Amino acid sequence: MKVPMKWLKEYVDIDISSEEYAKQMIMTGTAVEGIEATGAQFDKVVVGYVVSCVDHPNSDHLHICMVDVGQGEPIQIVCGAPNVHTGMRVAAALDGAHLPGGKIKKSKMRGEISNGMLCSGPELDVPAGLYPHIGDEGILEITEDVAPGTDVKEVFGLGDDIIDFEILANRPDCLSVWGLARESSAVLNRHFIMPEIEVEANGKGRFEDYATVKVLDDEACRRYCARVVTNVKIGPSPKWMREYLYGAGVRPINNIVDITNFVMLETGQPMHAFDLSKVRDQTIVVRKAYPGEKLVTLDGKEHLLDETMLVIADHERATGLAGIMGGEESEIVSDTASVLFESAAFERANNRVTARKLGMRTEASGRFEKGVNPDGSLEALERACMLVNMLECGDVVPGVFDHNPNPVMPKTIEASVERICRRNGVEVSGEDMEEILNRLFIDTNLCDGVLTCDIPTFRQDMDSDADIAEEVLRMYGYDHIPSTLMNAVTMPGYRSKRMIFADRVKNALVGMGMYEILNYSFISPKWIDALGLDEGDARRETVRIRNPLGEDTSVMRTTLVPSMLNTVAGNLNRGIPEGRLFELSKTFWPKGAGELPEEKNALCIALFGADVDFYTLKNAVVWLLAEFGVKASVKAEGCVYYHPGRKATFEVDGKTIAIFGEIHPDVAERFDIEKRIYIAEIDLDALQALEKDFYGVRPIPKFPAVTRDLALVVDEEVGAGTMMEAIQGAVKNLEEVKLFDIYRGVKLGFNRKSIAYSLTFRAPDRTLTDEEISTAMEKILKVLKERFNAEIRS
Amino acid sequence: MENKLREIRERVLSELEEARESSRLEQIRVGVLGKKGELTGLLRGMGKLPAEERPKVGQMVNEVRQVLEDALEQRQQELRAIEKDARLRAEAVDVTLPGPERSAGSLHPMNIALNRMIDVFVGMGYEVVEGYEVEYDHYNFELLNIPKNHPARDAQDTFYVDDNIVLRTHTSPVQARIMTTRKPPIRVISPGRVYRADEADATHSPVFHQMEGLVIDEHITMGDLKGTLDEFARQMFGEGISTRFRPSFFPFTEPSAEVDLTCANCKGQGCRMCKGTGWIEVLGAGMVNPKVLEMCGIDSKKYSGFAFGMGVERMALLKYNIPNLRYLYDNDLRFLTQYR
Repeated sequence: MKVPMKWLKEYVDIDISSEEYAKQMIMTGTAVEGIEATGAQFDKVVVGYVVSCVDHPNSDHLHICMVDVGQGEPIQIVCGAPNVHTGMRVAAALDGAHLPGGKIKKSKMRGEISNGMLCSGPELDVPAGLYPHIGDEGILEITEDVAPGTDVKEVFGLGDDIIDFEILANRPDCLSVWGLARESSAVLNRHFIMPEIEVEANGKGRFEDYATVKVLDDEACRRYCARVVTNVKIGPSPKWMREYLYGAGVRPINNIVDITNFVMLETGQPMHAFDLSKVRDQTIVVRKAYPGEKLVTLDGKEHLLDETMLVIADHERATGLAGIMGGEESEIVSDTASVLFESAAFERANNRVTARKLGMRTEASGRFEKGVNPDGSLEALERACMLVNMLECGDVVPGVFDHNPNPVMPKTIEASVERICRRNGVEVSGEDMEEILNRLFIDTNLCDGVLTCDIPTFRQDMDSDADIAEEVLRMYGYDHIPSTLMNAVTMPGYRSKRMIFADRVKNALVGMGMYEILNYSFISPKWIDALGLDEGDARRETVRIRNPLGEDTSVMRTTLVPSMLNTVAGNLNRGIPEGRLFELSKTFWPKGAGELPEEKNALCIALFGADVDFYTLKNAVVWLLAEFGVKASVKAEGCVYYHPGRKATFEVDGKTIAIFGEIHPDVAERFDIEKRIYIAEIDLDALQALEKDFYGVRPIPKFPAVTRDLALVVDEEVGAGTMMEAIQGAVKNLEEVKLFDIYRGVKLGFNRKSIAYSLTFRAPDRTLTDEEISTAMEKILKVLKERFNAEIRS
Repeated sequence: MENKLREIRERVLSELEEARESSRLEQIRVGVLGKKGELTGLLRGMGKLPAEERPKVGQMVNEVRQVLEDALEQRQQELRAIEKDARLRAEAVDVTLPGPERSAGSLHPMNIALNRMIDVFVGMGYEVVEGYEVEYDHYNFELLNIPKNHPARDAQDTFYVDDNIVLRTHTSPVQARIMTTRKPPIRVISPGRVYRADEADATHSPVFHQMEGLVIDEHITMGDLKGTLDEFARQMFGEGISTRFRPSFFPFTEPSAEVDLTCANCKGQGCRMCKGTGWIEVLGAGMVNPKVLEMCGIDSKKYSGFAFGMGVERMALLKYNIPNLRYLYDNDLRFLTQYR
């Protein structure tokens, strides 16, 4: 909310600088976004009186003017505008003046000295409406009888400081000049001087003779006040009013419209003015819209209404959206002769829902949805009529329509001084609290350590002693809050189990040289399609966001893979040739309607670059599992988006822990990746369930080991790892099996390979004999022959 | 005989003197002291001497033998030292040559900051609790005194899944769940992902992280909140950094405060980062609104508490001088590798 300092000063005595004032307001809870001076776009422009004006001898359009700018002798200024003439008052920019278009310097124009420039309205960038002739052709004529040399900012009503307040959601009363003046008076401990509101009802007849109002919905319309003004003379409003409106960011239009805006800004109560002659049967009905009813608002837009929306109507149809925007028909125009002022309190939730549904947000609706105090509606209406008297722009008809079936009841809050001190942690005496609260217009009496506070109706936000505590504390000063640590029971502090586990996972991966990344939790459904999942794949069933920022971020991810591929693509595009990345995040799996989705903890690893291959990735996963004491068996299976010959699954007791492999080139291509990318997905919830804290200790061997090498020839399809597992399972006292060579050659025959293992035997209780070893080797060979058709390499 | 011995002694000693390798020493030793060596031969030939001369000759031979053995030992040590010295000199490496390339790895800077934040509060006896990212409106808003169609909802543009389910806009629903299921004393922090319908720019992201704290006990004051956050500021940003409280409004706290930290860049003197104020706005906090306590089934006459909430990314930006929030979600390795 922008407020000119001058306007505030009408009601409260502020004798400190705008900066100091803003600081004090901020520290008591009224945020200030900024301070801006009006008219800062130009300087050194004064009123000039054209003493003489002759044609330039060397030009067909320039004039040489002698201009009195209040400096004694007139100065010479060359001017090209056709409308310049002797005896005219003008805006003269002097040598060194700054204008929006640049700096003005003394110069020669076709041989004649020019000591400045005579300005047009646009050259000063002063908005139309602020000064009557601003939009005129040629240079600006100042019609008032102002002394030459006067700063034109004074003439236009510029040069004031505008304070841009940011009003908190609980203080709608401060969305008004009076509210802010009241708050300022409490903060600065100065008097708040309200104007005395007196209306001279100088019109003929009574309200009922001119108009009828029917309110059919007391819930959505809590109060409706109206008065009629006749013999209206539409014209510009006076300079002071235009100046205030402009400073508050509202464009001045005409006296009647300006009065409604002025009163809204001053009191916080939105007002509406109807051209009474255009209201059919001079009847106003406040009701909910009929289903399917249509309405064209002031901005020319047509709206389709529903039965929850409150409208202003005549006998037949809706003519305006209550508290949002009036209708086109009854707009105030230049020949409007009689006016009905509306000052109503529409219920905030209803107003907000309607405004949202129709996608409309106006100055009025913004106030109603934050809450307008019904108790102030009549006062605002009277203020508007008083201004009509002042501006002499119409006759106020006696009689007021006031529908107020459920008046706002005053509230009383009792608060214990001791409880307030305890809550705030700041010692303030009951007397001081009483004084502070009274300053805030909360009528307070202290008795036996209890404050009895009568809450004014404009403070709808207050309803408990905690609110009283806050009022006391913010006025006393938050800088008095001491820095203490609580005097309470000692409690153990610790991370959640999941977090400890996740930290171990991350540290293990970082130790392997990987970088953690963060991606959005929502992705494009197209990304899931790009994985080429089967029709029935569960990952295609996503939680959809009803109001996403865009289609690209519209579904909650069921897999981290697409975002990871996108990240890899991004880095490749930036010319980064290699990388090791991981993301640890949640995936979301829909359950029944109205139920929260299941959230699972997932991990995705990506490796790319010249120094990595399938086995780099496999090792990373194995090492990660080993970190938690988990050994898994591997299968040559995996999701469709992996390379068919380079994908694998790790299982423990038949449950999948990890799927990994090289990304299928078709899928990579859909993410604009031409390189080989290795991805692993780890089910962290499953891994955490298997986590072993204590791995057990084997005694250190006391007896010597015996090593034997074993070279076998098998078909290409036989997995070296599978065979290794078979060897391990075949005999006892086999401490370790290591693969040390794989060889393919013509001599071995087509589709055959040789695999060589090194076997280490050891018994815990004795030295093994040659005979025992030989028996074990024979047994191993027999098993391998049976299962894999393996032969000893000769 | 004596001459013979002297001759051997002198010759061998000079041979040892000339020897340049340990292998040559061995050769010399075998030649003199070995089974077939000269001295051994002399001793063996003693049988031919008259019995009365034997002890004397034996003594002479043994003396020479002792001298030679000592000399041999000494020379051996000398040569070993020389050889080791030569080997070590030959083994010198170019220490300026970099080691083999290896990816270093690091946590995401947001999580580096978050870990630090969690450490501070765990150290003060807070338990870390986590909750759902997709949450009921009831926990995200209503229990926190933000009813439907309340303008306070405007401040948090919400992603909806349906009428009653939202992507949580803060981690406060975790607190609401804790308050409805546990009895005081409560002292928890809840870090996690939150969502707001904001377009991404230098200071906004539709996905970000928050860490909120909640303390409920008897006799908790606003001063305790200030003390707690002062301690946090000091541990997170260093000595001399403290907090400034400004009155504000949040539906779930009363009194509420907007909390500024001393600008770490200028130590409160005023600079460009803090727009000359010496303070940087970082978090919101306050005393838990008694209405919220009552809605969650906690006796507000007996218990009071405080709550605070802060953006983790904001902390990371401040702590690590990151100029733009977008850096944190771009996953550009040229940025991420700066935190190893």
